[in-house]
Amino acid sequence: MLSLRLRQKMTVDPGHNGYFDLCCDKIQGMMISQFAEQLGRESLKALKNLIAVLDLISYSARNMKVLRIVPVRTVLNKQLFFTGIEAMNKIALIGAVIGIVIITQISNLAGQNAELTGKILVWTVVRELGPLLAAIIIIARSGTAISSELGSMGVNREMDNLTMMGINFMDYLIVPRIAGITVSVFILTIYFQIIAIGGGMALSSLLIQLPFLQHMEGIFSSLRIYDILVSLFKSLVFGIIISAVACTHGLMVRDSITEIPQAATRAVMQSLFLVIISDGIITVLAYI
Amino acid sequence: MLTFDKVTCKYFNSVSFEIMKDKVYRLVTNSDFESNLFIDFTFGLKKPDEGKVLIFGKDPSVVSEKETVGLLRRIGLVRQDGGLISNLKVWENIVLPLEYHIGRVPEGSEERIVNIFTRLGKSSRETGALMGRLSGSLPPYEKRLIGAVRAMLMEPELIIYDSPFEGLDAQTAQRLAGAAEDFQAGKAGRSSLYISSDPQSLKDVKSDIILVLYGKGTA
Repeated sequence: MLSLRLRQKMTVDPGHNGYFDLCCDKIQGMMISQFAEQLGRESLKALKNLIAVLDLISYSARNMKVLRIVPVRTVLNKQLFFTGIEAMNKIALIGAVIGIVIITQISNLAGQNAELTGKILVWTVVRELGPLLAAIIIIARSGTAISSELGSMGVNREMDNLTMMGINFMDYLIVPRIAGITVSVFILTIYFQIIAIGGGMALSSLLIQLPFLQHMEGIFSSLRIYDILVSLFKSLVFGIIISAVACTHGLMVRDSITEIPQAATRAVMQSLFLVIISDGIITVLAYI
Repeated sequence: MLTFDKVTCKYFNSVSFEIMKDKVYRLVTNSDFESNLFIDFTFGLKKPDEGKVLIFGKDPSVVSEKETVGLLRRIGLVRQDGGLISNLKVWENIVLPLEYHIGRVPEGSEERIVNIFTRLGKSSRETGALMGRLSGSLPPYEKRLIGAVRAMLMEPELIIYDSPFEGLDAQTAQRLAGAAEDFQAGKAGRSSLYISSDPQSLKDVKSDIILVLYGKGTA
């Protein structure tokens, strides 16, 4: 844009064409190199973040045995409560509404075709929406909470306090959080799917007089074990991604409280991005 | 117990001393920053540019992680800010190292906690009410007292008090000093190290040896 404006200006004084051309080329060159530099820097940062996330996942996988230690198990239980149990009512509400919306749209489109309704419900809820929506709800609730909590602990030097008591803060803070969130996403995905299909179907049969049993039969005839396994595999992958990304960004906060909201935002964005990318990859690999 | 052998960094120049068994030490630094740096070196959170820090004759940077944990458990630290974990309740904070390392709270610990708090001027009712509170919501002096109880409960061989009396009213400071003296006298071979950048705040500590860090040097 800058070079374009300079070029427009240049036409006013034709005697300086050569000089301006040179300037424009130089500015354009600088902009391109700055853009390339910025792009490189951002890519490097993203790569570093990804390596840190993978490091954390690998550390947690290798040290699951620490969950036997009493205070670590307490942290795990708390995480299961906050991420899993406390999110159940919201997941149920969203699941039921999503179920009603999908069933209503299918009946509008295809009439009371039990087989088609079953197929579309399985395709959308079991294969895609179940794991994805459960993951998005957990990102919004627990991803931000974990990165903010760890960030605040980092600013207050609480990780150092743990180290000085001979407690490995990775074992005490990170491993139970990764385990807790992964298990929660796994269970909430199943819960979401049951509510979305069963609850949605029950409510729809009341609201738009759909034959409930006939439609349930249609769903069960369309549902394959393979679909359920892929869906559960997705939920496990999403759980690992959400927890590891949230922990990584939380641990990166060291000096100032102003870094805490930034870390939370970065954790949400990166989690969403990685969850959607991995969803795409798993879907392509599983169904093509 | 704790040896600083020609420890050199940007702020210390060839600092050497040894903390022996059964003694009470005072270490006067130039600033709180230096006190923190000293603590960081002791617990291996930072490494000096030159020289060695030995804990019970061993260099934590060359021993296994398990051995380092074993060494750190023998040292207790009472931080100026308490060093508590903010999302845990007071009781959970106090018993955290015990539960983590031993797997349970040993019998008699509750009684010991109440006794130490009584020495610090809290009735058993006040102590009971305090146990259920989140540590993040407590005033700084209370956090420090809780940090002291937690450190003492671990029965360390060496206990380090970081600026223990700064910001405390005279009565609370006196009570904390009393509890610390009782703890020191409670077991043979135990040592205490009081660190502060304010020598006046440590004037009432009955110490055997005084160490002073002078600018870029040491005694």
